[in-house]
Order: sequence, then C-alpha cells, then structure tokens
Amino acid sequence: MMKKSLKPFRDIIALALGHLTVFKHVFKRPVTLEYPEKKLPLNDNFRGEHALVVDNEGKLLCTACGTCQRVCPSFETIEIEKEKNESGKFYPKNYTIDLNKCIFCGNCVQYCPFGAIIMTKEYELADEKKSALKLDINTLKKNYSDSIIKKTVKSKR
Amino acid sequence: MTKNRLKINIGPQHPSTHGVLRLVLELEGEIIKSCEPVIGYLHRGMEKMAENRTYLQYLPIVDRIDYLSGFFNSFAYCNAVENLAQIEVSKRSQYIRVLTMEMNRLSSHLLWLGTFLLDMGATSPLFYTFRDREVILSLFEELTGQRLMYNYYTFGGLRHDVSDDWLDKVGDFVKIMPKKIQDYEDIITNNPIFTTRTKNIGVLSKNSTLQYSITGPNLRATGIRVDYRNSKQETGNKEHNSHGLGYLVYPELDFEIPTAKTGDSFDRYKVRVEEMKVCLKLISQCIDWLKSNTGEIISPIKQHLLKVPEGEFISNVEAPRGVCSCYVKSDGSGNPYRVKWRTGSFYAVQILPKLLENTFYPDLMAIFGSLDVILPEVDR
Repeated sequence: MMKKSLKPFRDIIALALGHLTVFKHVFKRPVTLEYPEKKLPLNDNFRGEHALVVDNEGKLLCTACGTCQRVCPSFETIEIEKEKNESGKFYPKNYTIDLNKCIFCGNCVQYCPFGAIIMTKEYELADEKKSALKLDINTLKKNYSDSIIKKTVKSKR
Repeated sequence: MTKNRLKINIGPQHPSTHGVLRLVLELEGEIIKSCEPVIGYLHRGMEKMAENRTYLQYLPIVDRIDYLSGFFNSFAYCNAVENLAQIEVSKRSQYIRVLTMEMNRLSSHLLWLGTFLLDMGATSPLFYTFRDREVILSLFEELTGQRLMYNYYTFGGLRHDVSDDWLDKVGDFVKIMPKKIQDYEDIITNNPIFTTRTKNIGVLSKNSTLQYSITGPNLRATGIRVDYRNSKQETGNKEHNSHGLGYLVYPELDFEIPTAKTGDSFDRYKVRVEEMKVCLKLISQCIDWLKSNTGEIISPIKQHLLKVPEGEFISNVEAPRGVCSCYVKSDGSGNPYRVKWRTGSFYAVQILPKLLENTFYPDLMAIFGSLDVILPEVDR
C-alpha cells in the first residue's frame, strides 16, 4: 500500500529529471552543419570518384593488366582497351569506369600492383544523364589533376 | 473471418517497420487476434551472389547484409575462409577487429535506442543518439574510408594499420560516452510513460525463445546467459552447440554479460543499455593493448589469387541482433561452392505472430521496435 502511494511522486521526479536533461541541451552549441554551404572535411582515406594516376611526364602508370577487373565485385564495371606502344609495353587506349554499377568498395585501388588508380574526395555525383556517370579515360585523368590542385590548395591553407 | 473482425495491412512502406516488412493483422476492436509477417521485399540474393564471384570479390558485398553492423558480417565470412584455408591472423589484427566490432555494436545499439523511442513517440533521444553515433561513424570514415560499408577486413588481416592518433580519438570518445549513456537513462529508464508502455508487455518466455532460436540481447533479456564472446557458457539447453565460443581475443579480455529476468520490452531495453557500457569497457581495454604492442597487420597471402582447399566451415559471431553465422563450402576452386547466412533478425520476425497475439494494436510498434529487427538482414 505504501509503495502504491509513493508511485506518483517517483514518477514526477523521474519526469522532472528527464525534462531537466533535455533542457540542458538548449544551451549547447549545435552539432549539425548547413550542408550545401558548409561541408565536413574529409580525410585522405575517403572513397569517392576514381582517378587514374599520371606521372610527371604526363604518362599513365596503368599497364592495362586487368587486376582491377578481376577484383571488382560488380561485373562489367571497369572496361579496358589494351594496346602496345613502340617500346613493346602495354598501355590502356581506353579505360572506362561505370559508376552506375560501382559500389565504391575500393578493391581496385587496394589491389592495383602499380598504384595506378586512386579514389578522390569527390562525392557529389548526381547528374541528369546516366551516361555522365560513365567515366572515360580523359575524365579519369582530369579527376587526378583536379584532386592534386585541391590537395595543394588545402596544404597551403 | 467473423463480422466484427477487421483485416488490415501494415507496411511494406511504413516508417516504423525499419525497412520493408508487411504485417497482415486481424483486429477485433483494438486487440490483435492474428498477425502474419510477409517478408522478402528486400531480397537481393546475397547467398547466390557468392557462387559466381571469387572469395575476394564477394567480400565487399558481405557488408551490405546488415548495413548497421557491417564489421560483424565481414568478420563471419573472413573467419570462415581463414579457417578453411588455414590462414593465421596476427594478434594485433585480432585486437583491432575486436575494437572495431565493439564500436560497431555500440553504434548499432545507439541507432536502435533512438528509433525505438521514436516508434513510441519520443523525439529528443533520437537526436542525442544520432549525435553520438555520428562520432563513431566519422571515426570509422577516417579509418576505413566509408561510413557504413567498410570493407576493412581482408583474409588473414586488415587493409591497413590504425594510427596512434586515431586511437587517441577513440580514447577521448570512450571517456565522454558514459556521461551520455547516463543522460539517456535519466530521460528514459524511469519515465512513467515509457515504463507503462514497456513493462510486462511483449513478454518472451525462456521456452519460446529457445524454441524459436532467438539469440542475442532478446535471449539474454529472458535470463539465459548465452553469448558467443564468452567461452564459459551457462545454457538452458544442454544440446546447445558449443562450437566457436570465445572467438578472437575475447577470452583474454575482462567483461561481463548483462542479463535481465522477465523478458519484456523493458528488459530488452535494459540489456542493450548495459551492453553499451560493456562495449565501452572492451574498447578501452583494446586501446590499452594496441598502444603498448606492435605487430604485423597486412597478411602475406595474395588475396585475389586465393584458392581455398575443399571443405566446409561455419563461423559464429555474436552480432548486435543475435548470432550471425556464415557457412562456407568450398570445392577447391577460387569461387565458394555455397555460402549460407544465419542472422538474428530473421528469427525475431518469426516469433512476431506468437508475441503479438491478444495484445493491443498501439503496442504493436513498441513490441516490434524492442526486438531490434533490421529487414535487409531478414531477407538478405
């Protein structure tokens, strides 16, 4: 009987404590960001849009060996056209990555024996056309030079 | 069906079904007379997908089985392949696996806590839990490169080592987290609205949990102390398979397994909150070990040329939603012959008809939410 009569008081105390805890948050700074205007900084590990690495002479490191195709979990995502140059070495004449099929697992970057492919920090990939998500060799080269510019700008700051 | 019985559909597109679950209910006034869960709306053929991919190609897909706790699925699959191919995992990578998995469990329970209370009409806890979960996710993003689909484990090791800087950040997080958990408990545990809606509602008996193969926190809430992390078991069922107990370095760590008594919705809440505290304890132990010890992380085997000898193996992992088992059968080639998944949520959905019989319709979401069901894990 005694317990029953005490119950309303305990409930009131519990509710008051709960409200007090919620009320404490009024004075705290917000943890959210207004997204399109402000963006969170990304670290170097981030897995975004792909890029093909170009060396100082403007040549691709890629030798069209096809390891990236073999480790990719979705089929027909990476397509490579292989060709031989004058010195007898293979190079990719065309290299396409279909982002419609890509799951951004990063296997192609991890298992590339030459370190010829990287992932940039670009993640806003929405477009009006599906075909815009099919990256050909020129876009991939451009992605790399863009990512280098971004990196140097960032380090200057 | 009699005249005064009403047959209605809940879902498949319903905000409280945590995905796409359809429930066919028969109501008599406000009382649920029968309930039939219809699953399969999120079926992606995860098991069949393995058969035409190599072992490495299947690894990133595994994370998508339960998107809130990707590390557990990844570990279950890696562990099975490592045991089949007899690949050794170094002590340091085992500790990092435990560390990341416990952080993942914490983030998964945090999301459950927020959505469970949102199901019952409380909005503030959702924002608080998401705020804390965000810290864990950004730590994961820093470590692995993505927030939910990590693809961090490889056969025999990890992709890359953790830095001391990162460990310090995790250490800071572990220091502030107990205060946050205390905040949740202040808001929720004694709240009269919460307790009247959860205490003695949706009671799971010991017998029915064992009959329906319910595992994880739902089982521990009934008082049965079964946890695959612990090597010493105290099972109600003597025939319980003791294979794979105390995996990784869990036997070396000091932790207790929280249980409750009655098995109602409130006890399931209580067990999960206690489990969060256990997670923090395990994380801090792992950080201490990792800071004082070094070791090799990257395994020497060639992942993309891996061929697994003939055989079969089942690896069991204590995931946040019950035991997650991965069965791998190999025929000696580069592709798995068969992969089968057993996930905790599937069994939690199967018990719904029994659990919801003769309960009130407004209690439906409170009971369903307390079971912590994730639909992609049910359908796979």
